[in-house]
Amino acid sequence: MVKPRTFGYFFESAGKSLVRNSWMTLASISTVAVSLLVLGIFLLVAVNINAVAANVEGQLQVTAHLATLSAAERGRLETEIKAIPGVTEVRFVPQSEAWQRLLEWYGDNQDFLAGWEEENPLRDSFEIRADVSHRVPEIAAAVTVLAGVEEVLWGREIVEQLLAITRMMRLVGIGLMVALALAALFIIANTIRMAIFARRREIGIMRYIGATNWFIRWPFVIEGLVLGLLGGMMAASVLAWGYYLAVRALVQAIPFWPWVQPWPFLQQLALLLLSIGVVIGILGSGLSLRRYLDA
Amino acid sequence: MLELSNVTKAYPNGSVALNQVNMLVERGEFVFVVGASGAGKTTLTKLLLREEKPTSGKIAINGKNIAKLRPHEVPYLRRSMGVVFQDFRLMPTWTVEENVAFAMVVVETAPRLIRRRVAEVLELVGLANKHAQLPSQLSGGEQQRVALARAIVNKPMLLLADEPTGNLDPETSWGIVKLLLDINSTGTTMLMVTHAKQIVDTLRKRVVELESGCLTRDEKCGIYHG
Ligand SMILES: Nc1ncnc2c1ncn2[C@@H]1O[C@H](COP(=O)(O)OP(=O)(O)OP(=O)(O)O)[C@@H](O)[C@H]1O
Ligand SMILES: [Mg+2]
Repeated sequence: MVKPRTFGYFFESAGKSLVRNSWMTLASISTVAVSLLVLGIFLLVAVNINAVAANVEGQLQVTAHLATLSAAERGRLETEIKAIPGVTEVRFVPQSEAWQRLLEWYGDNQDFLAGWEEENPLRDSFEIRADVSHRVPEIAAAVTVLAGVEEVLWGREIVEQLLAITRMMRLVGIGLMVALALAALFIIANTIRMAIFARRREIGIMRYIGATNWFIRWPFVIEGLVLGLLGGMMAASVLAWGYYLAVRALVQAIPFWPWVQPWPFLQQLALLLLSIGVVIGILGSGLSLRRYLDA
Repeated sequence: MLELSNVTKAYPNGSVALNQVNMLVERGEFVFVVGASGAGKTTLTKLLLREEKPTSGKIAINGKNIAKLRPHEVPYLRRSMGVVFQDFRLMPTWTVEENVAFAMVVVETAPRLIRRRVAEVLELVGLANKHAQLPSQLSGGEQQRVALARAIVNKPMLLLADEPTGNLDPETSWGIVKLLLDINSTGTTMLMVTHAKQIVDTLRKRVVELESGCLTRDEKCGIYHG
């Protein structure tokens, strides 16, 4: 095991190497930062889309249009619907209310509805809410088969589109993440490789004066870690600052939109980017070390 | 303390550098290894340092077969030995002091002890007044003294010297050899590979000769050519 005080030497050694190869140091920190930044932006967008999706999902409901029923029949039907697992709320909408909504919906352009009023073509309906949106389809199916129900409507298209978007985001996200992580990994590995090359003489000497492999490795591991950490810190600060300003502007522009608030979300995101940076840094140096130091 | 039994080393390209070598060295001995270029002398030191593994045979140091060492044990084997080479192998950007101290940093000695011991060793090799200079500011003989100081700073029990005077003029060479004798007289076993006929013939120490990988001569008080 390496003694704690020896880490002073490791950090000094890593620091010297980072300064000596300052161009490569800058290049790799920037690459890591840019990769993580793009990843972070993607995550910001994804999280916001998710928030919108959750918002829309929360509003999903099943509408059951009814045949002409007596009050008793309707009461029985309501009890049956309430018994369906996942149903949290059942609201009766008489045809008069439905008509009223229609009028409101068309607002100033409702002229063409005139004359229909007398024979109101709309039906009574139940509006049914689910506890979780993914149960909407099964609730809709259960309601359809009940006696007295003529037609069941639910946001099939919306649900399916949301699912598709989420799926696509996930795929793109994974692809992007892998590609960017590989790019950052590659550049760090390359930097460490150059650092090892620059110090091959020193490493040779270390070998025959009895340095353990870990003693030789540590400075390079620290070097990679510093590169990843600094890159992650840059990405995190740019992202945090940018998002903070963006949300401030956007909230004013579109107040009703469910923007994900910067706090504590940004803290988690920053932590995530830093961890990815550190992991990439360590992996990157490990990659070079394995090839160049193990005889 | 050092025993080679039927040691053969064939490099992957097929060249046989050592062939069935047997040799026993006692603690505190001074041994010259001589032989023509390509005879296998450097290969012998590489085997002792475990830079290479023997193809067959056994190399025992203090009774432990070093061919069987696991990779993580190798550094500890090397800590029990000091090495000097013909080309000194010093870090050009480090001072004399830093070059010597490095061997102690690597084995994680306390800084306080490092400072004291480095000063002591530099005194021994006669470089106390040049401790802050860079290798490029030293003569070849002085650079080899630095390398020697680094080799002995951790008090090894075996010192391997592969043509330590190969780059030095005869007079400077004698200075280095006198140091080696001093070190040997404190109990350090010495294995010196050399082409310096005059030195070998003058000192009349034990001489081991290799010829195309075979040990052909082993004399108690030998000379360069038998
Ligand atoms: N890494 C290697 N791969 C293949 N063959 C090698 C290798 N190292 C040495 N040899 C061969 O092994 C033989 C012995 O080499 P070695 O370096 O031990 O000789 P030496 O006695 O030290 O010679 P010199 O006096 O010139 O230093 C030579 O024929 C050489 O070509
Ligand atoms: Mg040689």
